[in-house]
Amino acid sequence: MNETKTAALEEETMNMKNVRVPSSPQDVHPNKPGDANVHLETQNLHVWFGKRLILEKVNLAFPENSVTALIGPSGCGKSTFIRVLNRMHEFIPGAALAGRVLYDGQDMYDATVDPVNIRTKVGMVFQKPNPFPTMSIKDNVLSGLKLAQMKYENPEEIVRTCLERASLWNEVKDRLDASASSLSGGQQQRLCIARSLAVSPKVLLMDEPCSALDPGSTRRIEETIREISSDMTVVIVTHNMAQAQRVSDYTAFFLSEDGAPAQVIENAKTDEIFKKPKDSRTNDYVNGLFG
Amino acid sequence: MTILQENPSEETFKEPQYPWKKANPSTSLANSIIVVLPISVFALSFFLTDLPGALLFIVIFLPVQILVAVFATIWGISKKRVGDAVLSVLSLVSFSLVIALMGSVLFSVFSRGLPAISLSFITQNNTYISPTTELDYGGVGHALLGTLMVVAIGMIISVPLGIASAIYITDMKGRLAGFVRFMVQAMSGVPSIVAGLFILAAFILTDVSGFSALTGGLAYSILMLPTVARTAEEVLKLVPKDLRDAAIALGSSRARVIMKIVLPTARTGILTAVILGIARVIGETAPLLLTTSNTNGTNLNPFVDAVSTIPVYIFQFLGSGYPTAINRSWGAAFVLLTTVAILFAIARIVERSTKKG
Repeated sequence: MNETKTAALEEETMNMKNVRVPSSPQDVHPNKPGDANVHLETQNLHVWFGKRLILEKVNLAFPENSVTALIGPSGCGKSTFIRVLNRMHEFIPGAALAGRVLYDGQDMYDATVDPVNIRTKVGMVFQKPNPFPTMSIKDNVLSGLKLAQMKYENPEEIVRTCLERASLWNEVKDRLDASASSLSGGQQQRLCIARSLAVSPKVLLMDEPCSALDPGSTRRIEETIREISSDMTVVIVTHNMAQAQRVSDYTAFFLSEDGAPAQVIENAKTDEIFKKPKDSRTNDYVNGLFG
Repeated sequence: MTILQENPSEETFKEPQYPWKKANPSTSLANSIIVVLPISVFALSFFLTDLPGALLFIVIFLPVQILVAVFATIWGISKKRVGDAVLSVLSLVSFSLVIALMGSVLFSVFSRGLPAISLSFITQNNTYISPTTELDYGGVGHALLGTLMVVAIGMIISVPLGIASAIYITDMKGRLAGFVRFMVQAMSGVPSIVAGLFILAAFILTDVSGFSALTGGLAYSILMLPTVARTAEEVLKLVPKDLRDAAIALGSSRARVIMKIVLPTARTGILTAVILGIARVIGETAPLLLTTSNTNGTNLNPFVDAVSTIPVYIFQFLGSGYPTAINRSWGAAFVLLTTVAILFAIARIVERSTKKG
């Protein structure tokens, strides 16, 4: 995130505040839904499993080429939320949803939208590393292009670039034809990131990508996140407060109180959330008083 | 006392050791009593009485073995291990029974089949052979080819169908998945002769086709399908959901998830499904009597005319009652078993060679 852009965003936020009286925590979002430079946003999103409302009134916008961290206690719907953002939500039995999820101004849940196309633009990295075990390292990187039936030239170049961006190249450059399952957990996760990068998504969703990894791999993945956010919007779920502060520009705090549907309690620039949170519950959570 | 040892041992170890394998004298004594005593009692009763061994095994050996195990364990080891002792006795006895059964089947097939085996027995057909013809002439060559043909046709039909229905149940999760699974399970209960009757009634009696390897293969496919489908379903379920999620998140269509990720990951299991399907049918005789009939000559055309198969060949010669004919049947049984073994071995080799990479 460069300085001028941040400044511009701040200014817009100020303008917004002048026009509208904040009535709920969502309304103090630094980027109100509807901003021109926003790729992905949710409007009044509600999510159910069966008859149970899981998420209520989520209005979040993810500014282009920024990193947004989603924090909150376990079970408050963060993972559910990011699965909504690339239409993976609908694969869960009993899943339901209301509201709008706009990608480049279009509702991705519109009947005319092909979810397969959405997923090539909004990629995802999962909590548990899941490289394809039957494929080599190289084929794993190229697997997205093949699976999504994209045309590509110069596979060696793609493999190299993607592995370099995921800071895995130096470790595997001599054994690109080895099986992906021969890698360590941290390397596998970086391979999964490289695989996601190969299809050149505009948005990358990451669901606790470092929760099972050692500090070294975590650091490399965080560096990768910073690097790819120069031309990609990243949304990362994390339970690690320090990680959220290290990698993200914005932070949204999800909380479900006493079994009520989860809501976004506070949502602002990461510095503000951690240094001067407006909501006392955010303050308690980020300072480790609960959760 | 600090956490540092004040007098660290200077002993160095050169060889790996297994302290848990050291014998406790009373435990070893109890164990040898458990092994030796019941067998001695059994042997004694066998030589002193005229009762049949199987009866003595159940009435004398089994109770004595269990009782000795219980008491020797209480005395020599520990009361808590009595359950272990009884479980060990029961599982070992059951295991030996199964091995004895399998072994005696294999032994009789090998010992009685082997004398009939010669190059001519495997390569020649049954033309001009009567039940009393010497074993030097004629053989199962035509039946072996017939069996391979019928099984191949059964596979060509049932393997794609079985895998497709497994995919429908596990990956497509279609609305009818429960119904399909129910039908597949119901099909596995179809008696083989009913499968034969169905093909007979549907194709042969209606003059759609005569007896042929094709009709035999159709009957076989009815029997193979449930085995292939159910096994394939189980192995597809074992493919981690993570991998499907990963492929979907990369923008893959459902068909590509299945073809490029799910099936390759499950290929070893799919191969097992195919093997089990073959094993299910290869010895089936009844459906073939009704659909392929039998012939003495070699018929390599799968679409026209009766064809001989090994199970039917065995049936044909066993019924005649002459000693050489019965020898032919045993020889054919030997060939059948060997064929199955070779098919399985090939499958495992193929599996191993595709596994790497």
